Amino acid sequence: MTETTTAQDVTRRTILAAAIAGGAGLAGVAMAATPEADADAIEEVRRMTGKAATPSPRLHLAMPSHFANGYIVPLTLRIDSEMTDTDHVRKVEVLAPRNPINPVATFYFVPGRSEPVVSTRIRLAEPQDVLAIAEMNDGALLMTRAFVEVVTNGCE
Amino acid sequence: MATPTPRVQVPRSAARGEVIEIKALIEHPMETGLRRDSKGELVPRKIINQFICRYNNEVVFRVDLHEAIAANPFIAFSLRATASGRLDFIWTEDFGAVYALNHTLLVD
Repeated sequence: MTETTTAQDVTRRTILAAAIAGGAGLAGVAMAATPEADADAIEEVRRMTGKAATPSPRLHLAMPSHFANGYIVPLTLRIDSEMTDTDHVRKVEVLAPRNPINPVATFYFVPGRSEPVVSTRIRLAEPQDVLAIAEMNDGALLMTRAFVEVVTNGCE
Repeated sequence: MATPTPRVQVPRSAARGEVIEIKALIEHPMETGLRRDSKGELVPRKIINQFICRYNNEVVFRVDLHEAIAANPFIAFSLRATASGRLDFIWTEDFGAVYALNHTLLVD
């Protein structure tokens, strides 16, 4: 079950964080404000991939918080990394846990050659947290999420 | 189905070390296999399942695409301009059809 933050949990800090996120128009920025949703997202990743990933501020998943047309939802993903031989992103997997088929795409990068910044357009069946899981060169799995509310089912 | 038509937008030249943005799109219905036709039959899956960019023959960027990538898949990505040469863009469809474009990049 996805539990939203209750009124008592809303502190000045979370309100400020939400205001900043709202101003930027990016749901992903509000991540730090809702630890319960983070726990749900970690569990979803475990269910879909069998892997344990850690929420990280190095991943930036920018998606509109409301987008009527579920057939073409814009997505921009950026990972903070110098892309050196000793510190780089190998790949990033995007998952849609409430779609009939969860995997969306996997992006593979090469240190010194490609930068970990991509944009595409995806289909979403219903409102959900879209998840991104990055595998770093040392094997670490970092993740983030962005909640998107769609109206039309883009998967029919 | 109309023949899938690929398109790319790439700078003609770049400074050495500069990061360049590339926009790649292929006109393709990305049939998910979940949709039913007017007779109620499932339309079989047929999607672009992989996109690769080679830079002077080295794979520098790759995407595995699944059903949830929108029709007419659009991918914007960024490369570091290291040397003049050839960029190849290769889309692979289910059942093995391949669509490709190339581009000459000047680096100084």
